[in-house]
Amino acid sequence: MNLGAPLVSLRGVAKRYATGTLALDGIDLAVRQGDFLALLGPSGCGKSTLLRIMAGLAAPSAGAIDWAAGEGRGDVGFVFQEPTLMPWATVLRNVTLPLELAGMKRAEAEDRAAEWLARVELGGFEHAYPRALSGGMKMRVSIARALVTRPRLLLLDEPFAALDEITRFRLNNDLLKLWQDERFTVVFVTHSVFESVFLAERIVVMAPRPGRIAQSLEVTAPARRGEEFRTSAEYAAQCRTVSHALSAAMGAAA
Amino acid sequence: MKNAPQGLWLRILAPSVIALLFLGGWEAVVRLNDIPPYILPGPLLVAQTLVQDWGTLSVSLLVTLKITAMALAVAAGLGLLLAILFAQSRVLELSLFPFAVILQVTPIVAIAPLIIIWVNDVTISLLICAWIVAFFPILSNTTVGLRSADHNLIDLFKLYRASRWQTLWRLLLPSALPYFLAGLRISGGLALIGAIVAEFVAGTGGNASGLASRILEAGYQLQIPRMFAALVLVSGMGIVIFLALTLLSHLLLRHWHDSAMGRDDRR
Repeated sequence: MNLGAPLVSLRGVAKRYATGTLALDGIDLAVRQGDFLALLGPSGCGKSTLLRIMAGLAAPSAGAIDWAAGEGRGDVGFVFQEPTLMPWATVLRNVTLPLELAGMKRAEAEDRAAEWLARVELGGFEHAYPRALSGGMKMRVSIARALVTRPRLLLLDEPFAALDEITRFRLNNDLLKLWQDERFTVVFVTHSVFESVFLAERIVVMAPRPGRIAQSLEVTAPARRGEEFRTSAEYAAQCRTVSHALSAAMGAAA
Repeated sequence: MKNAPQGLWLRILAPSVIALLFLGGWEAVVRLNDIPPYILPGPLLVAQTLVQDWGTLSVSLLVTLKITAMALAVAAGLGLLLAILFAQSRVLELSLFPFAVILQVTPIVAIAPLIIIWVNDVTISLLICAWIVAFFPILSNTTVGLRSADHNLIDLFKLYRASRWQTLWRLLLPSALPYFLAGLRISGGLALIGAIVAEFVAGTGGNASGLASRILEAGYQLQIPRMFAALVLVSGMGIVIFLALTLLSHLLLRHWHDSAMGRDDRR
């Protein structure tokens, strides 16, 4: 793998809403291939907007987005804040959706979807309807759906914010494990310092009004992070550093 | 959950008791005061007439039922089609929707005579009247339903570059289904009302006439028990239509929509 080369680069990206509000300004950001990047910032700093621009769901008002050769936004998976499942379709049908939209035969799509459901520990729930699942399980379905197309880039928009802490920790661990096994590129939006330090290789701290990048920090951690990392002094120290960076970014805005 | 069977019993038992009390009181009032049947027949006499005249009444029942069902089917089909067109084009919606409203707010009794004059075939003119009344709830409900798809899901479909057709078929129509079915339930009753009103306007005449004609005819002939018997059939048909559409709605939505109960979908 060509680790370190940028998969997608943003140059001078800005976004002004129709209302006139400047949501993002002068964003220069390169997402390296295989990286796990966290966008950390207070609410209203435009981090979700930035993610939508990367996904191609919103157009920037200024600036450019460059993809590495051979990549396109067809290779993007997206996980929303809510599970965003189709309530009328079974879990399996929800996960086959991206494949079927791309024209894959149903049987093949089902095989692939079942495989990913097993990987997010939902084997046996293929024929359940979303309403029968807990919040954490719905989020797992959403992750399976985002990964079933084997995207190069996985975008997650505060996916675990609405979950309880125990479920969030488990999903953090499982997402990390999937990433370590597959090495797709991740951009993860969060407002939690602890979550960003636990998950990310690199943390980009954003400042609000207008949304801009305040600081970029590398996280140093053992190659395979687990529960022991969460309670280590190393983890605590880095959380403190990132916390200070976030306060500084918000202080500068005030 | 524990109260569910009890609730069901209450739901059936309570109205039944009220109905029996009402019918018993009615019969008693008629008998005690010696009210002649051409003023007010007792429920027993009405039931007896219903059985006696079943031959003619059942023919009329089928006529009215056929017009109602056809009007509802056409209303559902056209309402759905037009709502889909509205969802595809805002301009089309803005240009046509006001006329659908005009059609809806104009009392059917006022337009029915014109339609009956213009259209030679009685059945078709009745069908048009019933359709006009039944059409609007389906159109407006489905239009709202098609617009109320989850915005994140719309984004997801955009992300995967779904075609217009794929988005319509896999996202917009399923999202609109509960709205469509709610509209259908309202329209079922309205189609019957429209059919009956149009029959009243069209008058008696013709041998293949519906229940309203029977009511009119019995009124002229002062056969009040028969009038009541026809009335019972009209109400009964309305109730059956409502129940059938409620059942349909339940069957289609039970797995996923909040309006359907039960949490046994975990297979």
